[in-house]
Amino acid sequence: MANIPTCRLRGSRRDFLRSGFFGVGIGASMPLVFRHSALEVAAQSFLEDKEAHPERILVVVELAGGNDGLNTVIPYGNDTYYKLRPRLAIRAADVLKLNPRAGLHPSMTGFRALWDQGQLAIVEGCGYPNPNRSHFTSMEYWHTGVPNAPESLGWVGRFADSFWRQPAAGRIVNIAERQSLAVQSDRHAPIVFSDPNRYVRAGDPAQESLYRNILERDTVQANRTLTFLRGIARTAADTSVKVRQAVRDYRTPVSYGSESSVSTLSTDLKKVAALIHAGFPTRIYYAGIGGFDTHASQPGAQQGLLMYVADAIEGFCKDLKRIGRSADVAVMMFTEFGRRVAENQSAGTDHGTATPMYIVGEKVRGGFYGAHPSLEELDSNGDLKMTTDFRRVYATMLQEWIGYGDSRAVLRGDFPGLGVFAGRG
Amino acid sequence: MSADVTTPASWQDDLSPIPPGQWSYDRAAHLLERAGFGGAPEEIEELAALGPAAAVRRLVHYQQVANVAMPEFDASGIFPSPDFVPPRQENFAQALRDAAATGEAFGVKLERTPDTAWLQPLVNALYYYRFSNNGEIGRVARWLAQRMLITRRPLEEKLALFWHGHFATENDKVRDYRKILAQWDLFRLHGNGSFRDLLLGICRDPAMLIYLDGLSNVKGHPNENFGREILELFSLGVGNYTESDIREAARAFTGWGLDGNRFTRRAEQHDTGEKGVFGRKGNFDGEQIVDLVLEHNACAPFIARKLYRYFVREELSLGLEKRLAGVLRRNRYRIAALLESIFLSKDFYSPASVATQIKSPVHLAVSTYRKLGLREIPGTPNFNATTKALGQQLCAPPNVAGWKGGSTWINPSTMIERQNFARYVLFPGEIPVPARRPMDFVGDIIGQQPYQQMAGMARRGDYTSFPNMSMEESGFARRPGTANETYNVFRGVYNGGVRTFQVLKIDPPKPAAIDLAGLLRKDGARNAAAAVDSLARRFLRAPLGAADRGDLVAFLRTRLGGEAIDFAAPSLETQLRELLHLVLSLPEYQLA
Repeated sequence: MANIPTCRLRGSRRDFLRSGFFGVGIGASMPLVFRHSALEVAAQSFLEDKEAHPERILVVVELAGGNDGLNTVIPYGNDTYYKLRPRLAIRAADVLKLNPRAGLHPSMTGFRALWDQGQLAIVEGCGYPNPNRSHFTSMEYWHTGVPNAPESLGWVGRFADSFWRQPAAGRIVNIAERQSLAVQSDRHAPIVFSDPNRYVRAGDPAQESLYRNILERDTVQANRTLTFLRGIARTAADTSVKVRQAVRDYRTPVSYGSESSVSTLSTDLKKVAALIHAGFPTRIYYAGIGGFDTHASQPGAQQGLLMYVADAIEGFCKDLKRIGRSADVAVMMFTEFGRRVAENQSAGTDHGTATPMYIVGEKVRGGFYGAHPSLEELDSNGDLKMTTDFRRVYATMLQEWIGYGDSRAVLRGDFPGLGVFAGRG
Repeated sequence: MSADVTTPASWQDDLSPIPPGQWSYDRAAHLLERAGFGGAPEEIEELAALGPAAAVRRLVHYQQVANVAMPEFDASGIFPSPDFVPPRQENFAQALRDAAATGEAFGVKLERTPDTAWLQPLVNALYYYRFSNNGEIGRVARWLAQRMLITRRPLEEKLALFWHGHFATENDKVRDYRKILAQWDLFRLHGNGSFRDLLLGICRDPAMLIYLDGLSNVKGHPNENFGREILELFSLGVGNYTESDIREAARAFTGWGLDGNRFTRRAEQHDTGEKGVFGRKGNFDGEQIVDLVLEHNACAPFIARKLYRYFVREELSLGLEKRLAGVLRRNRYRIAALLESIFLSKDFYSPASVATQIKSPVHLAVSTYRKLGLREIPGTPNFNATTKALGQQLCAPPNVAGWKGGSTWINPSTMIERQNFARYVLFPGEIPVPARRPMDFVGDIIGQQPYQQMAGMARRGDYTSFPNMSMEESGFARRPGTANETYNVFRGVYNGGVRTFQVLKIDPPKPAAIDLAGLLRKDGARNAAAAVDSLARRFLRAPLGAADRGDLVAFLRTRLGGEAIDFAAPSLETQLRELLHLVLSLPEYQLA
């Protein structure tokens, strides 16, 4: 990748990073809190001018279950939509109109605000060839970025392997109870946690301190597997404390909307903000929310979920602005498939295909991208035909945002970026 | 502990047999760890006394070993009859259409009455079969683990686990625990036998035929999924065949399907035309494709490499792979012959191979229990929940490619989960109360999947509740059926769940019966240092560093209030468990 001189960087952001690691001011040297810790290598990369944009962060938000795209970005100008969805269609009068053709679900006022600020890009018609309608299989394809082929590493993981040759702790954080396939990497162990209090080795304090003593002991190992395991164990021990500390200490007056057992995204994005604020050397955060499998009684369920999502992301953006990092973060949101165009008889929708993706951030050039699939020319299942390969959006985030020169090897094909960040880098 | 520094590095890649004079307790321990799930020192001493050739023979040719009485799987009886073909996800829509047309589907008879939810009993049944089968599969997994724990033929189970990962099949698509059980029977029947029998067996295996869409592979419409995976994942590897080979192989398997739950060849659906595979032409049947695959140059190296990586180490040279493939080929694909040669080789005992493998989650759990001397898989911590959290749930591989294994087992989270698994085995009273609703808690205690699955649904607010959760809370009350609907999905999930409760047998959540003081007394450990050495010898395959050992001895001495072990002291067991938790927390303990 190009080695861009420091003077082209906004100095203030890098200065923030230098002083921001857990609030410890530093000169040109490593922040004390990271010295001898597993986070050291990743933190070091901020201080070296190897990357064009070492301050940039990508937050991936996954909507699990297959969100109904047609009732999220609503083609209210199209009669066919109303014909195929007599019970479920959102009335044109209620739609939060973005242009004469389409608008947002009425509960997504948070997204509407982001749109008005020019910070929301909607990429329509996203999918992949030979779409699979199984949750597990389709989600797997979005995770690996390699549809219709077995692949054991995730697209984020393969990107990390290729972009950062030196393995380092904490470059990827996955807020989840179980690690997502998307962040499975050959060399970069992600930090995975949901409840920071569970991301901790159980045991009494005296016993724990003895364990840490043993772990810190530098012994020369001929056994490379053991070296690897010791590295991971140290990362676990170090990050376990720092994650808990960062999340526990984070206070913000900004509202992320409802915080309940079903609106988990708000609490999870707040954890992301906490780690960013604490100066974690993390470049990719992976979070998500489930419940979008609306086969029945869709209106109430989806209304709540879309509100939680839009409020949480809007709150997250405001909070980032408050802590001075809004220019450094972009959010990409996706779901494993959209839903069938025609509603079913349980006031719900069944598994479908193409669906919009969303990119949010201060550096985003707001507007519509991709192309809306035809509601008239459906495939043999009555599903939308995709217009935009989802890997073009991945390529956009990797190339235009993170500054990865060439995503072809990672994405196993030529997927041109969409120009969402063009001219705003 | 193993990895004695005197083993010459030149042993690496050397397939010649280890001299009997070089046999030792540590090498026997390494053998049992890899060819099985490790074991208590008494088992290792038995192998050490046999010498290498006899020890390897006993493990590899396990048919000659009299086994302990293995328990039969204690089925709950979730299906109405042995012939009953349970519904799969893809059948749901058709079942509703059939029922509307004929008044019956999946054994549920329905009476059409106007303005009622007359299809509801069918929808209830569809969810019942799904949930109860998931629950039964959880019980199957625990039963499989129980076999791994008590068997006297550990390689039989270890190989079955290998083939389960190789011919990966997901319960979630098959939805019939009997077919999954039958597949494991196949893995045990031919596990160390001929790869031809295994490959042919898997091509006729009902679970696999469903999983890879073999049922829709018919004349005129070959389904390439089956042909592709047989070549790519099961026998040759990517790059050793063409897309045309896949299509043509799929044609040869057309008509291989099921009659009810049994394999059958439907002659009228079989494509009898000429096929061209690997440059050979003929009116091939599936059986001949299997033979063509075995003759292919890439097959023996592919299988030999995969077995080697499972049993020995991740990295092997091309030269070694070639020689291993030669062994397999010369022995007409007899797995036992290859394994005997591997387990006897100097390479297997070289520093590159000993204590360099990361235990799989299933291996970690089972071997921990074996080394603790347990005879029963504990009910708590729950076996399936544990291995799932660690990244390996039996009968639920992530996809058709199976588990990648190696370093992918480990990330900071799973490292902590592994340490906490050890903690909760030793201190089951400390298992955290989930910060969730009472219904989830019940599900966790009972450890049956449908509860958890439904709990997840309810938590997300999109399905119904359980009896001990209020209807209001679940959102159920806000989702009544509409007057004119013929069925209601929420009600179906609820009723299906309740019936699952009624039918499924519950495996009691008993904690492990551990007696560390008893183990140490048997080992003759009378002081803190001896206790540490005894536990390290029992549990670690990598050497414990002198300084680490010193720390552990000091820890126990402090806890005991002195050097000597007083076997009458009431707190002794607790202090020993604290010590063992430390030992099992060491990165070294993750090594097999």
